[in-house]
Parts: sequence; structure tokens; C-alpha cells
Amino acid sequence: MSAPGYSSVGSSVNGSTQSYPSMYQPAGYYGAPPPQSYPGKTPLSSSQPPHYHNSHISPQSHHGAPSTPPSTAPPPQAYAPPPSVQYSQQVLQPQHSPYGAPGSYYEHQSYSAPPPVHHPPAPQQYPLTPSPANAAGTYPSAPGGTQYGPPAHPQSSLGGGLPVQMSAPLHQYSPAQPPCGQTALNGQPQSTASSQQSSYESYSRVDGSGHTPSSTGTPSASIVPSPGHHSAPQSQYGGYEGTSGPSEPEQSPSSSDDEDLEDDDEEAGGDTSSSSTGTASPVHNSFDSLEGGNYPETQTPCSELTPHGQPYTGYGFPGMPPPSSAPQHGYNHSGYPQPSQSFPSLSQLSAALGGLSGIPELEVEALQPINLLQERNLLPPRPLGAPEPNLSQELKKVNCSPETFRCTLTSIPQTQALLNKARLPLGLLLHPFRDLQHLPVITSNTIVRCRSCRTYINPFVTFLDQRRWKCNLCYRINDVPDEFMYNPVTRAYGEPHRRPEVQNSTVEFIASSDYMLRPPQPAVYLFVLDVSHNAVEAGYLKYFCDCLLENLHSLPGDARTRVGFLTFDSTIHFYNLQDGLSQPQMLVVSDIDDVFIPSHDNLMVSLKESKELVKELLSSLPSMFAHTRETRSALGPALQAAFKLMTPTGGRVSVFHTQLPTLGPGLLQSREDPNQRSSTKVVQHLGPATDFYKKLALDCSGQQIGVDLFLLSSQYSDLSSLACMSKYSAGSVYYYPSFHHIHNPSQLEKFQGDLERYLTRKIGFEAVMRIRCTKGLSIHTFHGNFFVRSTDLLSLANVNPDSALAVQMSIEDSLADSSLACFQAALLYTSSKGKRRIRVHTLCLPVVTQLSEVYAGADVQAVTCLLANMAIDRSVSSGLLDARDALVNAVVDLVGAYRSSVSNLQQSGLVLPSSMRLFPLYILALLKQKALRTGTSTRLDERVFAMCQFKTEPLPQLLRMLHPDLYRLDTISDQGALHLNDTIVPQPLLLHLSAERLSRDGAFLLDCGSVLYLWVGRSCSDMFLRDVLGVSDHASLPPSMNHIPELDTPLSERVRAFLDWLQENRSSSCPLHIIRDDALAKTTFFQHLVEDSSESGLSYYDFLQQVLQQVSK
Amino acid sequence: MILLTMLARVSDGLPLAASIQENEQYERDLQQYQTQAKQLFRRLNAQSPDRCTLEAGNLNFHYLIAEGVCYLCLCEPSFPKKVAFGYLDDLHSEFFDQYGRRVSTVTRPYAFIEFDNYIQKAKKMYVDGRARRNLGNINTELQDVQRIMVANIEEVLHRGEALSVLDTKASNLSSLAKKYQSDAKYLNTRSTYAKFAAVAVVLLTLIIYVRFWWL
Repeated sequence: MSAPGYSSVGSSVNGSTQSYPSMYQPAGYYGAPPPQSYPGKTPLSSSQPPHYHNSHISPQSHHGAPSTPPSTAPPPQAYAPPPSVQYSQQVLQPQHSPYGAPGSYYEHQSYSAPPPVHHPPAPQQYPLTPSPANAAGTYPSAPGGTQYGPPAHPQSSLGGGLPVQMSAPLHQYSPAQPPCGQTALNGQPQSTASSQQSSYESYSRVDGSGHTPSSTGTPSASIVPSPGHHSAPQSQYGGYEGTSGPSEPEQSPSSSDDEDLEDDDEEAGGDTSSSSTGTASPVHNSFDSLEGGNYPETQTPCSELTPHGQPYTGYGFPGMPPPSSAPQHGYNHSGYPQPSQSFPSLSQLSAALGGLSGIPELEVEALQPINLLQERNLLPPRPLGAPEPNLSQELKKVNCSPETFRCTLTSIPQTQALLNKARLPLGLLLHPFRDLQHLPVITSNTIVRCRSCRTYINPFVTFLDQRRWKCNLCYRINDVPDEFMYNPVTRAYGEPHRRPEVQNSTVEFIASSDYMLRPPQPAVYLFVLDVSHNAVEAGYLKYFCDCLLENLHSLPGDARTRVGFLTFDSTIHFYNLQDGLSQPQMLVVSDIDDVFIPSHDNLMVSLKESKELVKELLSSLPSMFAHTRETRSALGPALQAAFKLMTPTGGRVSVFHTQLPTLGPGLLQSREDPNQRSSTKVVQHLGPATDFYKKLALDCSGQQIGVDLFLLSSQYSDLSSLACMSKYSAGSVYYYPSFHHIHNPSQLEKFQGDLERYLTRKIGFEAVMRIRCTKGLSIHTFHGNFFVRSTDLLSLANVNPDSALAVQMSIEDSLADSSLACFQAALLYTSSKGKRRIRVHTLCLPVVTQLSEVYAGADVQAVTCLLANMAIDRSVSSGLLDARDALVNAVVDLVGAYRSSVSNLQQSGLVLPSSMRLFPLYILALLKQKALRTGTSTRLDERVFAMCQFKTEPLPQLLRMLHPDLYRLDTISDQGALHLNDTIVPQPLLLHLSAERLSRDGAFLLDCGSVLYLWVGRSCSDMFLRDVLGVSDHASLPPSMNHIPELDTPLSERVRAFLDWLQENRSSSCPLHIIRDDALAKTTFFQHLVEDSSESGLSYYDFLQQVLQQVSK
Repeated sequence: MILLTMLARVSDGLPLAASIQENEQYERDLQQYQTQAKQLFRRLNAQSPDRCTLEAGNLNFHYLIAEGVCYLCLCEPSFPKKVAFGYLDDLHSEFFDQYGRRVSTVTRPYAFIEFDNYIQKAKKMYVDGRARRNLGNINTELQDVQRIMVANIEEVLHRGEALSVLDTKASNLSSLAKKYQSDAKYLNTRSTYAKFAAVAVVLLTLIIYVRFWWL
């Protein structure tokens, strides 16, 4: 209907029409969708137009009463003339008519004043970052953005630091802005939420009035006006505030501390922190109070806002409307296609930037529709890598490694509407502190950053000339400082674009003292050990002490490194290790209700000076408690003591614990009822039982203390409560169910391996991390272990190279400005050697306007992992079943969306683009994963641990956990082998995870990420048994065998080379289990075959059928 | 009680080493004192007095400059000055021994943070009353601490500022004076012209008068 009309006009009236596209939009958005989407369908969203109107007429009045009912609601006709009418006017009067229609709505008062002559140049101006004066000239009578645009104004507060500057470009293109469309289109999910929101509104209002005066500029004012129709993030922050504010009363002290470090990050510009924050980043100033308790772990914003929506509405996609027919119609036919066609100038721009012209082969391949019901061999022969973003060759070369920085969509949709239509979540998966082989480290006096958004200079900025560069995130033009003109690598002057910062997307800066609030802290390690009867029985202490003794010299640190030990049962024991004592002195504190530190000086000692005493203690510890009869455990008080010990310096606390804490503050009751496990209805107690551990963790985080938990228990220990101590203090959690040093050698081996890695891996202290993205994108939810201090600032007391994080994003504002979207993660930390460093990663992705391109760039692994994170939040907040439904719906939605939009093939069956062909399989695997499966066999602690893993494990590891790699080993050959250095690593083919792919006469290796299983069939060839396993026949295979003997046969060498290759570079230890076909352990192997039906789920084929059924419903 | 110890290079104020503060009581304020210390380091130069005590609110900064390195500590006012400077001297001799040569070459802040270990030890020794008595003997030969200059930190930090304010005022004044001068010149010329014009008119009338009446 209107869509072709538009584009034809756009192209026929050329030249001056350049400006029209942007002016059509209001007509398109205000005009077309509302008549279609509003009538009847959603009574709630009918409140939208009045809101709009209200805010236009009296933008000021909103401050006081955001929810005032409209006094003069315009008749719908006035603001929604049929688009066709408008289009005909257009032909007659190209100059004025675009304004005619909205004018009637806007009541002319704002538009009559500026002479029409001003409008045409407007769109031409916007690429050039117009000056404020310019904007004022264009729309003299329009008071700021409010006239046009309530839609424009979440950004002005979110996106860029300078409202003044921004107002200009916003003005120019605000008519074209999707947010208008977004509010109209997205109206549904958000307004479903609006009932909830009204309750949050009170918070946000209080907030707003509370801080309008305090903030320096206008941004806060623009936040407040229109909670009613703003897009998702706004309401979510309101929501966070509302929900977590009250529950988090003690957060204020820590957050005020936090404030300082944040300045620290921003301090670079000036010396006095307070003033520089004000100027450098008014943005988060104004958000700080809003985001108060944005704890990613506990809340799924969307799901909270729309609990009564259909399953898919609540499903965590950012502001994704339910796939009900009405809105789909709305934008399918009138709303969407136009913008893509109506930006001729932009496509030119993108063509000029290269890599985007035409559809490359890669994309064609990724887009090839695949009928999953017919295609049986979906897996690639080798484990899948990340898809390559569709960028020009030079950009690809410098882009950030996908192992560090991965986006769910490697082609970023231009607008939120397009994103909604694709039905895929947009987010980032980050592994910021990964161990790197090659990392350029830069020492310079001035670290070059954008003056307005504080972005670090990166390979994707543009140099306008020798002296100026343009920020790729906020488009501000900055000066190149003199020092930067000199290139230390080539020793040449005048080549700013050759500097290492501009040649590498991952760099590390040595920070100047402006980035430090206090002198860099030393590496401080405190070990908190459980020595109750239970712990002694499990026998971990000896292995811990041995391992630490071995690795004492390789603990990361320098001469200042300090260590301390603290043991506890029903009392707390401190150890005085003062240099000069003949042997360690034990100090016992039995007053566990009010813990105090018995001696201030000698409990944390310099490792260098007291090494002998430490060694002596470690060798005597295991025997010291060998005969203890104390069964109770005072974990809470021990943690409090640890906190007090560490407060002055910060550092790392490692807690080793074996049972449910039973004494003092923080005691827990057993909450698991094994009989309840079988009920498929509800899985209870996924959340913490007490907030003691969370509070403690937040205090720790404030003092730069990270708490890591090793839980080695045989019974239920309420991990969901205990894990909180690590979650908020940026620690890590390790869990060894039914650990016993004799009865469970495999767990022991894993514990030893993990511990060794844990003690020797790199560590960063007192870290903060900020993620910035191109103007228009905004981050709204974080997943991982850390404390979220403001909208884009995470505080991590400790960072380790093994944990990753995920981030959900939404598109606030059309990305039409540029054909590239960039993301930058900057991690400021203190290394174990006392150096303050900043590690910066920058990722650059193309922006696309076509749905097919979005699908072509979808990264199915990243999507799955992000969905897993979202589902876990969901299952904690609203139940496991809900989360499972949401996951199934994610598949259903995608299939439905793809069928209705991109594939025009009328074939029946389940069709997905080739890039997403593994999606249903991964989701099915996710549903069968410990964290999310139903059924009797999952213990609560194991489930919670799996959830913790999903939140922190890096993507490749996660994916192997989810969908293990299966290989056949007895036929392994050198065909297609990798040649690494001097070894040849054979590469067997990847097999589907189904029992039909197994055979009795083979040996199969299953790589589950943290463990490897080698299943040996009953009639496995004798050659394999003899040459690889070193046994004569199947029956003589020992029941528990964990190593492959080093035999001197070619087959054995191949197998070992392959196994070693798999186990290399893995953060956690990865023991091998050899499983005989008739052994009991067989079940653990078979439960990983996710394509077969099991007690907890359907087979893959049945799952597809189920999806198909739901799609066609 | 010594609350804070910092070492910095005098030439550019680059911090070289520092001791971590360990006192809960002062935790909060120390932040502020640290910034003051950092500012102070930037102000110091070769011309600054070698030894100086600066009063900052309830606490005193003592600093010592030797071999291009400034040793600064923050103490309670009750803490004897003599001991404080003895402590700084001690730090100086140790630091110069260990790192003296490398001071001018480093570029990153807190390059010698490991010196903290020694600072801690020395601090403990000087703060401890009993040990101090023994030290007292050694320190008697120290020069008379009474002569060490005492100033206020605010003054020191703002001295430069006041000067710059004065400077801007003076330059304002001089530019104003210049403007006044040119204005005056202009006015002078104008009045001279006016005078000439008046004389000319009088003469003209005189000539006309003479011409028509007398002839």
C-alpha cells in the first residue's frame, strides 16, 4: 500500500527530495501504523497518543506529573491521516506538505514560525555535526527537542554526554526517528507494562525531582518527562529502582565509595575528581541515582514488567512486541520497508565505506533456507566458529577477536523495529580479561580519548586530517595531541594513524596516576578454610595445602604480595605468621556473634618475608585438625572476619567450604526436599534464602575484595544462597558435588587441576569496566559476576581470565548516521605487580537495513548463550517452566518471523536460514541442560551451579557444556589433520549427539568442556583396545580408568595428540573418563546425547514437530 | 602516628611509591589528603624549601626533598616533628640506596611501589614509642627542627593561584591603560581639531567683516 508509493515518490522527485525521506517518516509513523495497531487490539496502548500530545503541548508540566491524563486528547483522525492522502499532497506541494500532516497534529504553533526554507537543508546538515547555533537557526521557535520529540529524548540523556550538541542532529532527523515508530510499534509490550509502570513511576518521579537540581545539565530533565511512552530501558531502570531500592538499604555506603573510583576512571582529564566527573560525563551522573540497584542477577526487567503477558511478551527480548498479528501488520506493510529504501544518501555512504555493497557470497550461503525436518546432517564437520562480520577487508583485519568480543548479530539492524522483526536478541558476549598471546602495551603520558564520550582512540575512528580525529561512538571531532603525532613503533613523526592504538583493536594502556585513587594495592590473598569434621572427612585440606605449597612461588604478585589464613569450624582461628616467630601462632576467636580481629598487624603477612612460616603452617594444617569432632560450621562469621582483615587493602578471599553453614549470622536451613524434585511443576529455592551473603558481597565489592567459593560437599549446601558472595563481588564459584578424596578420585583430580589453575592464573585487582557503544545503542542488562554501578559501569573487585560476561542491548535511536556500529569495553585494573592498566577492546560491526542481512549475520552460538543467560534470570524470577516456555517460544518466534518475512518459498516444514540452522538443536540442548531441565535426577545445588556457570563461563566452554562435541576415535586418521608446530593433530568429524550415531564396535569421545568421556563399545576392535588403551579385551577394561597409557603405536599417538589438543588452553581442568559399555557410568555419557528423548525432554525430531505445531497455530 | 607516606619525583610530580593506609578511622579523609598531596607534588620545584611542615586541618604534612625526590608523610600534630623528619631521612637513605639511579628514568606512576615494604617497616619502628626512645639518641644530632618552616597547605597550594590572579589583574590593568591611552590620544586630536576649527571660523568672520565693512 503506502510503501511502494513512498519510495517511488522519493526517487522520482529527486534532488531536493533528499530531505523528504526524513520527513515522510513522521507521516509514516504517526500516520500509518496507529490506525492499524491501535483499534481495539490493545486497550492499554490507546493511552499512548494522549501521552504524546500531552508532552508536546506542555513539556514542562511533565516534571511534576508524568502521568497526568491528557486534557485535550486529539481526535485520532487529526493525527492519523491516511497515508495515501498525504502522499498525494506531497506530489503537489513538495515543500510544505510533509509538514502539513503532522502540523495538523502539532497544531501549527511550532511549525508555522520557522520559514519552510529552512527545512530542506536540514537533513543535509546532519552528517556534519551541526553546531547548536545551527539548530537554533533551523527551528527558532521549537524549544529544544521536546517539540518534536518525546521520542528523541531518552537518548539525549542516555546516549551522549552533551545535550546541547546532540540536540542539533536529533532535531534534524527526529522526524525520521524510529523511536516514534518504536513507541507506536513497541507500544504493546511497553504499555502492557504500563500498569506495572505506574507503580514504578512513583519511584522514578521521586528520583527525577530529587536530582534534577543536582545534575548539571538538562539530561535529567529529559529523562523524567515521559515515562509513559519511553522505550524499555527507561522503564526498566525505574523498575530496578523500585524493586531493589528498598531491599538494598545498606547499599548507599558502598555506592558512595564507588563513586570515587568511577571518578577515577573518568579522572583522566583533570585532577580534582568532582569537577571532572561533572564535565566529563553528565550522563551517568544523571543515571546514577536511577540505576541504584541494577543487579543483573536477580532481575529480568522485561519479565518483571510483563508478567501477565503471553509467554513471548515476557520473554526477555528487549522491548520485543508479542507476535500478535496486529503490530506485525503494522510494520510489515507500512512501517518498515520504507526507511530502508528511503535513505539513498546513506546507502551511498555505506557503499563508500566498503564491504556493504551488494550481497557477498558469504551472506548467500548463510541465508540459504534449510528445512530442518528434512535436513538430518546439520553439524559442520568441525566445531563451529564465529561468523565473520560483513566488513571491508581492512576493518576485518583489525577487528576484535571473536573470542574476546562477540555480538549476537554480526550485522546490527538499523532500528529497533527491524530488530524486533528479526526476533533475535541483541547483545554482546565478552571475555575481557582473557589470556592473550599478543597484546600491545602502550605507555604514554596522555591517553587519547574522545572529549565528550571518553572513548579511547581505536582503529575505527576516522582521521579528518593530521590534527583532528572523529570519534566513532559519538561522532565528536577531537584534536590529536602533539604526543600522539609521534609514532614510537616506526619512530616517525606525523603519522597518528600508524600508532599501535589505531592499528589494534585490543590494546593495553599503562595508566597515569590520574587513573588511581590510591596507590595500587598489593596482591593480597586470604584463604578461608573449613576444618569442621565434615571437611576433614572429605579430606580436601591435605590436597589444598599440597597444591598451595607447590604453587606458592607462582602466585601472581611482587615483593609486596601478602597472604593470610583463616580456618573455621564453630570458632574462628587466625594465624599469626609474623616474621621472626619460630612457628605459626594460632589465635582462636570463639565469639562468633561479634567477630573481632585479635591482632592487627601480623595476620596478613608478606609472603616474601614469612615464606618459611607459611610453608610450615601449610604442612601442619592437615594434621592439626585430623581428629576434630566439631561438626558445626560458622561460615558467616568467618566471612565477616575475612572482610575485616581485608578491608584496608582489598584483594582476594578464597573460601573452601563443605557443608551447610549452621552457626552465627548467615546460617542456612536445608531447603531441598528430594521428594519434590520429581514434581515437574515448580523448582523452588533457586533464589537465595538470606541476603546476608549478598550484603557481605556488596560490602566486599566496595572495599575491592573479591570472594571466590569452592564448595566441596556431599550434601545439600544451599549453593543458591552461598553463591551470592561471589556473584556480587566478582568472584568465581567452583562446586564439587560429593567430593571425597578416596571415594571420588575423579572429583579430586578435577579439584586439583582447577586449584592449580586458580592459584597461578593472572589476576587483576580493583577493576572497573565500562562498555560504550555507538550513539543510538544502549545497554540495559548485564549478566555475569560483578556489581553494576551505573548504566555502563561495572565494578569488579577482582578480575580473572576465566570469566566472561554477557550484555543485552537495545536500539534506542536509529543508527542511520553511520554504516558501522562500534562497541568498546575498557577494563581498568591493577595488575598483580602493582601496575594500573587499562585494557581496551573495540568491536566494529556493519549496520544493515534489510531483514535478510540481519539473519545472514546472526551468530547462532552467541544467540543461544545470551538466551541461556536470559532464561536463567527468568527462571529465578518467575519459575523454571516459564523460562523453558520462553526458550521454546524463541524458536517458534524465529521460525514464524522468518517464514512470514524473508523466505518466500511456500514450502511446508520448518525453514530457517542456514546461519541459524542449529538454533533449535541448541535450544533443545539448553532445555536438557542441568540448569533448565525438569525431572528427578537434578539436585538443586547442581542446578544452581550450572546456572552460575552459564553466567560466567566464556562462550566456547559454555557451548561445549550445552552441546558437547562427539567424535569417533577408533577410526581416527591423519586425513585433514592440523599441523601445529611439530605435532600432527588429527581432526575427526563431529557427530550428531544421538545414540544412532554410536555403534558397538567403536570408541567415541564426548567433549563436554569440563570433562571428557571416552565410551568404548562392547565389541570395539581389539586393535583399538590394545594399541590405545593397552588392554587385551573389553572385559578387562578397569571400571574407572582416567588416563590413556602412553603407548608407542601410531593410533595411540594420534589419539593422545588429539586429546592433548582438546585439553590445551582450557581454563578449567578437563579430566578424561573412560567408560565401558556395561558400566554404570554409561548413563552419564548417554544423558549428553541431547538429540534423543530422555526423561527430561523430547527428541530432536519431536521437538521440531512441536515447534512446527506452535508456529502454524 | 604516621598516616600516609608518599614519594614523588620533584621535577614532574610523578608518584614513585606510597604506603597503603591502614587506619579505618581516617579512611575517608585520607582520600582528600591524598589529592592534596598529589597537588602539592605538582607545585613543588627545585626552588621549594628542602624541609617544610604544612598544616592541613587537623593533620600535618612533613616533607623532605633530597636528590630530586620528595618524601612526604602525613602525621597527627601530636607526633613529634623530630621523629617525623628522622623517619623521612631514614626513607631517603634507604630509597636512594635501592633505587636512586633509576628515579629519573621511570615513566609510569608508582614504579617503585615495592618500596612500600620498607616504608611499612620503618613506619612501625618510628611509631612504636619504645623503639622511638632508642632512635632518639641517633636523631639528636639532627639539625634543629625548630628552624624548619611551617606553612599552611592551603596557602602553598593556592599561592600560585593568587599570583596568577594578580597576573591576570595586572595584564587587565595594562590593557585597560593602553586603551585609555589611545582613547586619550583620540580625544586630544579631536579637541585640537575643534580648536583649530574655532580659530578658523573667527578668522574667517574677521576677514569677511573687515572686507565688507571696512572696504
